[in-house]
Parts: sequence; structure tokens; C-alpha cells
Amino acid sequence: MLTAGGTEACNLGVLGLLEAQPRRAGAHAVASAIEHPAVAEPLLQQQRVAQIELSWLPVVQGLPPSPGTLRAAITPATQLVAVQWVNHETGTLLPVRDYAAVSREARVPCFIDATQALGKLPVNVTELGADAVAFAAHKLGGPAGAGALWVRRGVQLGSRMLGGAQERGRRAGTPDVLAQVGFGVACEHAAQRVAAQPRLAALRDRLETELVALGAILNASATDRVATVSNSSWRGWRGEALVAALDLEGIACSSGAACSSGTSEPSPVLRAMYPDEPWRAGSALRLSFGVETTESDTHSLLQALRKVLSRPAG
Amino acid sequence: MGSSTRVLVAMSGGVDSSLAAAMLKQQGHDVVGVTLHLWDAEGEDKVGRCCAPEDRDDARRTCELLGVPHYVIDERQAFRSQVVDPFIAQNLAGQTPIPCVACNQHVKLTRLWQLAQSFGATALATGHYARIVPTADGSVDLLRGVDPGKDQSYFLYGVPQAVLRNLLLPLGELHKHDARLLAKEFGLPNWSKPDSQELCFVPDGDVRGFLRRHAPAAGAPGDIIDETGTVLGQHQGVEGFTVGQRRGIGIPGPTPRYVLRVIHDSRQVVVGSAKALARAALEAQSVVWTSSRPERGFTGQVRIRSHHTAAEAWVTPTEAGFSAEFVTPQIAVAPGQAAVVYTGERVIGGGFIV
Repeated sequence: MLTAGGTEACNLGVLGLLEAQPRRAGAHAVASAIEHPAVAEPLLQQQRVAQIELSWLPVVQGLPPSPGTLRAAITPATQLVAVQWVNHETGTLLPVRDYAAVSREARVPCFIDATQALGKLPVNVTELGADAVAFAAHKLGGPAGAGALWVRRGVQLGSRMLGGAQERGRRAGTPDVLAQVGFGVACEHAAQRVAAQPRLAALRDRLETELVALGAILNASATDRVATVSNSSWRGWRGEALVAALDLEGIACSSGAACSSGTSEPSPVLRAMYPDEPWRAGSALRLSFGVETTESDTHSLLQALRKVLSRPAG
Repeated sequence: MGSSTRVLVAMSGGVDSSLAAAMLKQQGHDVVGVTLHLWDAEGEDKVGRCCAPEDRDDARRTCELLGVPHYVIDERQAFRSQVVDPFIAQNLAGQTPIPCVACNQHVKLTRLWQLAQSFGATALATGHYARIVPTADGSVDLLRGVDPGKDQSYFLYGVPQAVLRNLLLPLGELHKHDARLLAKEFGLPNWSKPDSQELCFVPDGDVRGFLRRHAPAAGAPGDIIDETGTVLGQHQGVEGFTVGQRRGIGIPGPTPRYVLRVIHDSRQVVVGSAKALARAALEAQSVVWTSSRPERGFTGQVRIRSHHTAAEAWVTPTEAGFSAEFVTPQIAVAPGQAAVVYTGERVIGGGFIV
């Protein structure tokens, strides 16, 4: 099903799977504590308006919840398991194949947010074993505003958009054909992106050695993660000040999450991963790279960072 | 100062700070605009509310027009703990706080100077109507702005010398009227935007309503008494009563009555005639001296609220701060307000009226 981006695909996956089932008493859903807001917010809305109970599986110190933890969280009233494959801020890999197997065994529909995985990992939706999987085009070089939700054959899905026969009536509205063609082209090149991962992982690891030498504390670096992101914290700095100072030196990076009031707020992902160390979220620096990134880019970054770090911390 | 020094300009989204940025940019400085996000106003009173997204957009638009970078930095937590919470506590204690002083001293200017340094800037600029001039000993003096109707030196006395020394106030030599014309000439998008009048976090001016929403202890009733202790009526909470206030006391009588003082422990509000309001002296504490603490008493002029014409007084530094004996008794000396000491144009220091 073609959607207008990853957010819609995630909303449709979460809400559509819930809506298609007869509501049980004490209905319950399980997600990880580090979901993207496109997954977390629809769940929170269902908690408010439909009294669905939620369990957030802890990701303490960046360690993904084990399949056994998920199994223990599922109750007879559980109607949805919604988990991300790759974390959007730390790149942490979650064992979604195992989660899908646990869900299937418990006869609970399973939604996987794969927006961060496509273009970084080989993706085979049928092998994943989930009921619905969400994607976004701009995460692998395609145009923003194009996304997709894969739905297993035979799985019932409620509609969020009404008023048209598109996608067999499940997602009304004419899709943005140009954007979707762009998405298709990006997918044709996905294998090249995946093939670049080992080079990027080596580049990221060399960069992180330098970051640590400059005083960084790495976040969620001890578990499996994709190669395209480095997340670190800088004691004494406020993340947003560090990001602004680097921006003035020509480096575009980020720290926390955009908040509804228009400014940024400390990363909810890092707050969930390190509940006892709030300074990590407050001083976070997120450096993202792609297939175009070269060693000379990371050198420029380190040069800018050294310059900024020589000043009083802001 | 060299022509390409980096200057951080504090931008509220108002016309004054936008003009400051435009002037410095024209002078050839490498201008970086920063807006502090201090508060999320509640309610439907969107006009003029503090830190409204619209204000940040205005600041951003100005920076786009000038071709300079603009950043928004979140200081909501510091603003709440160091400005709003003390403001609430002082109100509940029956005082008349002046949160802008604490904000400039502890949140705005100190934080902005810290950010300026981390951005590699050598100076900080704001749109305040006041002047900074170097002195012979290497420190700086804080002077009134040249527009007496707009002078904001009263709000800046608490800013540490270390920050003042790096502060640029390009509007200090301007009259407000000329500033607006200049802003129009620069083509600044907000040149005709009205000045903010009220406390930025209480934009509708309803302090009592704000306190009721934010302080569970607000609204505790008590007696309104006269100077002899006779009970004249009841009030619904000491907060929001200000020494010198006439309106809103709610007790009719042949002569106007004014709030003379608020007795916190017994929750009594004492009212009386205008004559009884006059005070010959005041004590100030939490005092900041702009350059150094004067060694002995001196004749100065003391301003006891933002729109007060500074009154001639003999000022004596004390252990806790200073005392001021007025040549002519002053009305409405309100505890919690700032008393700022001048000699002529120069700010000597200031503190909170006890």
C-alpha cells in the first residue's frame, strides 16, 4: 500500500491492525520504549481514547529487549505488538524476526517499523514474519512524501483514509505518482547502499575513536547497530548549543527531538535508554552519514569539533 | 572592535532586538541571532504572549532577511526555576516582585553570554535602551538610555560586570520613535509590532489569574484592615496586592484608600490614605554593585519601580545591601521591587526593597 511517507505508514500499521480486530476487554498493546513518535503517538492516542493498555519494553543502556521479555509482556488481552527494526537516533538493531515469531506463536498481530532499515539492511518482508511493515522513501535517498506499508496477504486492516477505491479501498486518495516512482528507483539502488555499510561502519568506528579521545561518551554503541549513525554525549555541553556551534562551522547535525512547541527537547530515546543519566540526553550529539560520506568529511567534522570544544562549553 | 567579529544578538522577535541585529550587521559584524525559548504561555490569550512560536518566527524572518543564522535555545527549565517560581513565591508572601531583573541577571544575559562564547562570538548584543561605556580602570559603566521614556537600565543593574563588559547595546543612543523609523528603513518585517507591556509570561496582565492557575496556595482569604487594626473587609488572597495600589481593594469610602502594606503571616492587607503611603527611607538587599561597592554613603538618585522618576536620596552601603534616605518622601515603596541607585546617568547598583 502506497502512503504519503513513513509517518502515515506507521500510523496506518498501528491503528489499522488494532481497528480490524474485535476489541477485547482490557485490550493491550506492546511496543519498545524507544519507538519513533509515528508509532508511539498513535499508541498513546489509543490509550487515551480507547483505554488500550500499553506495555513499553525497556531498552536499558541501549540493550534491546530479548524475545523472552516480549513473550512475558504478552497477555491474553494483547492485540498488537509494534516494534521498530532500527532505532532512529542510535541505529540500534532490534531482533524483530524473533519478535514476530513470538507474536505469531501468541497469535498477536505484529507491526514492524522498518523505515530506518531499508537501504541499510537486506529486507525481505515475507521472511520477517510480521503482519505489517512500514517504509519511507527518503530514508534511502528517495523523495520525501512517499512511503509504503506492506501487509501480509489475508491480514485485516482498518482504513484511516476513506473515500476512494485506491489500495483496494484500504487507503483512499490518489498517490503522488512522481514521488512513488522516485521511491521505486531508490529501491532499485538499495542493494548498493547496503553494500556500502561495511565501509561506513569502519569510517564510523574510526570517527568514534577520535570522538572518545575528544571527551565523548558513546551512546548505545555496545550492541549491534547500523553503520550510518553515531550518537554521543558531551558532559558540560547542552546538545542544542553544541549543534548550533557546529552549524556555524558548517556541520549539520542534531541532538534531541523536535518538540511540538517548535524548539528541540532532549532525546526521548536516550532518556529511555539511560534513565539514571539524564545528562546523556541533554548533551547528545547525533552524527548521521550516508553512502556519499567520505573520510575527508569526517576530518572536516573533527576539525570543526576541535575548534568548538576549545571554547567554553555552552 | 574589528569589523568581522562575531556577535551573538539576543532576539525576542520584537522590533528592538531585530533592529540591533540589523545595525550590527550593517556595521559589518558576523551576526548570529539567538532566541531563548523561556515559557509556553497557556490559554487563548495569544497576543503578545511570551515566547510564542509567532515571536520566534518573527526573529527567524528578520535573520533570513539579514542573511544571518538564527538558533532557538530552550531555557524553559531555568526560566521556571529562577524566574517564575520565585515570582510566585514572592507574590504569595505579599511582595511585588520584578521578575525581569532576575531574568536578565540569572537566565537571559548570563546564559546568552555563555552561548556567545561557545559560538566563538566576542560580544553579546541586545535591543535594550541603555548604554555601556568603558571606564579608566578597564571595567564598564552602565548608563541610562538616551530616551528617558524608554530607558531600560533599571532592569539591567543585576547583570554581572563580566557580562556587561562584553555587552553591546546599539539602541542605547536612540529614541524609540527613531528606532521604529530606522527599523522601517531596514525593511524589518516587525517594525510596527507593538511593544510588549506586561510581564512576558503573564501577557494578559492578570497576575492573580496566573497565580490561581499556578499556585495551589493562592486565594487564601484574609482581612483588610486600616492602620488602627479595624477590619474593613475581606480579600481573597494577599497575592496581587501591591503597595500603593488603589483599584481593586473593594471597600467604598469618602476618601480613596491605598494598600499601605501586606502582613504575610496574618494575611492582612493594611489600607490607608495617600498621605500614609509616603516613605522617607528604604532598605535594599541582594544588592549588585555595577563596578565596586561604594565605601561610604553618597548622594544619588534612587528609582523604586520601572516608571518612577529617580528620587534624590542619601545612599549608605550596609552589610545586607544599602539604605536610602529620600530628600522628599516617596509614595508606594513596594517590597520586592528593585531599588536602583544612579548618580546622574550612571547606574551604581541596585537591590530588592525589603
